[in-house]
Amino acid sequence: MLRIRAIPALQVREGCLVKTVRFKRFAYVGDPCNTMRIFNELEVDELLVLDISQDRAKRGPDLRLIADLADECFMPLGYGGGVLTLDDARAIFAIGIEKVVINTAAVARPGLIGEIATVYGSQAVIVSIDVKRGPLGAQTVRSGNGCRRTGLDPVAWAKEAAQLGAGEILLTSIDREGTWQGFDLDLVRRVSDAVTVPVIAHGGAGSLQDIGDAVTKGGASAVALGSMVVFQKQGLGVLVNFPEASALRRVLP
Amino acid sequence: MITIVDYGMGNLGSVVNMFRRVEAECEVTCEPARIASASRILLPGVGAFDAAMKRIDAAGIRQVLDDKALHQRVPVLGICLGMQLLTRGSEEGQRPGLGWIPADTRRFTAVRGLKIPHMGWNVAERTRPCPLTERLDGEIRFYYVHSYFVLTDDPRDTVLRTRYGVDFAAAVQRDNIMGAQFHPEKSHRFGMQLLRNFAELPC
Amino acid sequence: MRLNPDISRAGVRICIRCIYDERVPSISFDAEGVCNYCRQVERLTAQYGTGAPEGEAHLAQIIEGIRAQGLGRRYDCVIGVSGGTDSSFLVHWAVEQGLRPLAVHYDNTWNTAIATQNIRKVLAGAGVELHTHVVHNKEVDDIFRSFFLAGVAEIEAATDLGYAYTLRRAAAKYGISAILEGHSFVAEGITPLGRNYFDGKYIQSIHQRFGTRPLRTYPLMTFSRFLKSAIVDRPKFIRPLWYLHYSKEEAQDFLRRRYGWQYYGGHHLENRMTAFYHGFYMPQKFGGDLRNNTLAARVRNGSMDRASAWAEYNSPPTVERQLLDYFLKRLGISATEFDRVMKEPPRHWSDYPTYKRRFERLRPLFAVLAKADLVPMSFYLKYCFPANAPE
Repeated sequence: MLRIRAIPALQVREGCLVKTVRFKRFAYVGDPCNTMRIFNELEVDELLVLDISQDRAKRGPDLRLIADLADECFMPLGYGGGVLTLDDARAIFAIGIEKVVINTAAVARPGLIGEIATVYGSQAVIVSIDVKRGPLGAQTVRSGNGCRRTGLDPVAWAKEAAQLGAGEILLTSIDREGTWQGFDLDLVRRVSDAVTVPVIAHGGAGSLQDIGDAVTKGGASAVALGSMVVFQKQGLGVLVNFPEASALRRVLP
Repeated sequence: MITIVDYGMGNLGSVVNMFRRVEAECEVTCEPARIASASRILLPGVGAFDAAMKRIDAAGIRQVLDDKALHQRVPVLGICLGMQLLTRGSEEGQRPGLGWIPADTRRFTAVRGLKIPHMGWNVAERTRPCPLTERLDGEIRFYYVHSYFVLTDDPRDTVLRTRYGVDFAAAVQRDNIMGAQFHPEKSHRFGMQLLRNFAELPC
Repeated sequence: MRLNPDISRAGVRICIRCIYDERVPSISFDAEGVCNYCRQVERLTAQYGTGAPEGEAHLAQIIEGIRAQGLGRRYDCVIGVSGGTDSSFLVHWAVEQGLRPLAVHYDNTWNTAIATQNIRKVLAGAGVELHTHVVHNKEVDDIFRSFFLAGVAEIEAATDLGYAYTLRRAAAKYGISAILEGHSFVAEGITPLGRNYFDGKYIQSIHQRFGTRPLRTYPLMTFSRFLKSAIVDRPKFIRPLWYLHYSKEEAQDFLRRRYGWQYYGGHHLENRMTAFYHGFYMPQKFGGDLRNNTLAARVRNGSMDRASAWAEYNSPPTVERQLLDYFLKRLGISATEFDRVMKEPPRHWSDYPTYKRRFERLRPLFAVLAKADLVPMSFYLKYCFPANAPE
């Protein structure tokens, strides 16, 4: 049977790999292609690359970078960042990427989800939902790399996205991202309960236990790992790594 | 030299890439003349059954493919949709398949919450030894994305078996005709070993 | 240039003890036919008491000093790690000695998985924390491209210097007074100066001439930064392997068993640029082959016989075919431009502005600093004396 997936999520900024904390300050992590090669050799099951360059939304996807990455990648790759139109998606799939991740564009025009899903299949479309807690405690969806308030409720938006054809939901807690404090299990649970498509929990993984909890307590179908796979430990040096299969098996069902 | 048939469906870049990584020479073509001189053929495919069969006919390569596969009997490997095309036909479409292997392509049924398509890594079990699957050690895994699966008439034609709701043929081999349902080009070292095995088959 | 692998038919003068031949820069042979590099190793062995009780006693004293100075701080020494044999062994050894090292890595974004895995396994097994300095990948590539276009051999100069400066900066940042280095003159020999020249001015002048983007994350050690570190911050450079008995083969065996460490083969597969440099760049542009460094050292320390070492030195190096593709892709160089540059006559480091004369003029100062372990003794021996003119 299928395993629960643990997916490295890499952030690219102006052609350089970085890691943010709460979507804000960032540290240099390395070269995207070289790091891709390392993950190949570590035999991870799949990867997500999210281009968080400023104005990526205006410039569209970095096709040159995507081609360079596809060259190095012998496992399924999902790309997000500046995917605005069906044509963008088409160009990306033509390069050899398995899935596109759409965020800002989907909020602006939800019809885009169905457009891509109809041609390429739902399994090729991941809708990414970034969630932040406001000053009064309510969690709402943010777009534009966390900068724009949409006022949307994450559960409602996830349901709509799934109905429109999203194959998976990448659910990111902005508040937990880069903090190693564990996933926002309540958020993960509420969204996972509301949709039948797989939910990938993202933001906050700090330990193997956190990974297990996202699945057993949060109901997530997969987890995305950021800081955990690029640093030796919290606060320590950059060191690309991935938990051993045996270690993952111990915490994942 | 592996001749990859480009009939307009399926991302060939990744396949070419992997062959390059295992240092196997390959060419991508749709010309009948080139296919006619092929010593090994790879039939890729992503998309719908009928659309693929239609394109193959439209490209005018059906005859040379039949000749290579059934008369000259060069090693042929169909991957993903390409493997399904080897069968008699698919529940997905109306057109007959190439019929190079006695088998049918069926649709997964969404019983008990089984999500379709079958997407993700899954374990394959070796049902009998085969040169295509040599040197795959330990737990054998591949990456799958498909909504239809193949069942061979003769169980001996199935060389790797995977379970997703039902047991289905993950890889097949009957004489020179071979197929892989998964994406070898996305299955890192497992896919590499399989493609390397194919590239090293005597021909 | 490769010669006859049969050492008795080599056609050049070869040291009777190791395999350095007359083409090695700054080499000379004494009346017995032994080269100056062998004699240097002899002298250093005597001076440091390598593998002998005096050496170990001296080292024990140094360790005691490091422990004392580090009391109350989180770490008492810095160890530069690369994933290779020497640095991995050193980490293990330091922890055994009761030291509390901070592992420091300089990441030029060309690492292989083997290097990162080795670092991870050894540090996890030994319980050591890591500090990494990652240079922006595009800056790294800009520097590499500059050196390539400049036509000089030292394409890795910026890595070597960046590494050294990163160690110094880490020591200063965490208030650490000792930097342990895994260099072993017995296992590796002292690299002749003709190869691998690097200093801050050299890097700056080549980058200024051929580079296209400003250096913001690359740690450039200029002369003043060098002196400030040596005289004001004053971390001491200690090379335990200069005192201890050390065999690379034994170390590799041990690391494998204890930490699951993996040997990456003799082809420098810990870093792709290093692999490219040894496998393509040096042999094809400079007819140069640095394998004789390690091979000569192995002959000297008895782990290999002279004839086999010479034969291996004169056999073709193995190269990974995709290495060249990766090099061209990263640096944005076309195949045509690559061929053109490779065919241009090689340049020498002395063709570009460097600090060399300044180092020579300030030899007395550096002699003092070297004696006090404030600059590595090998730096003093290589840089503060005039080098022979290039052929």
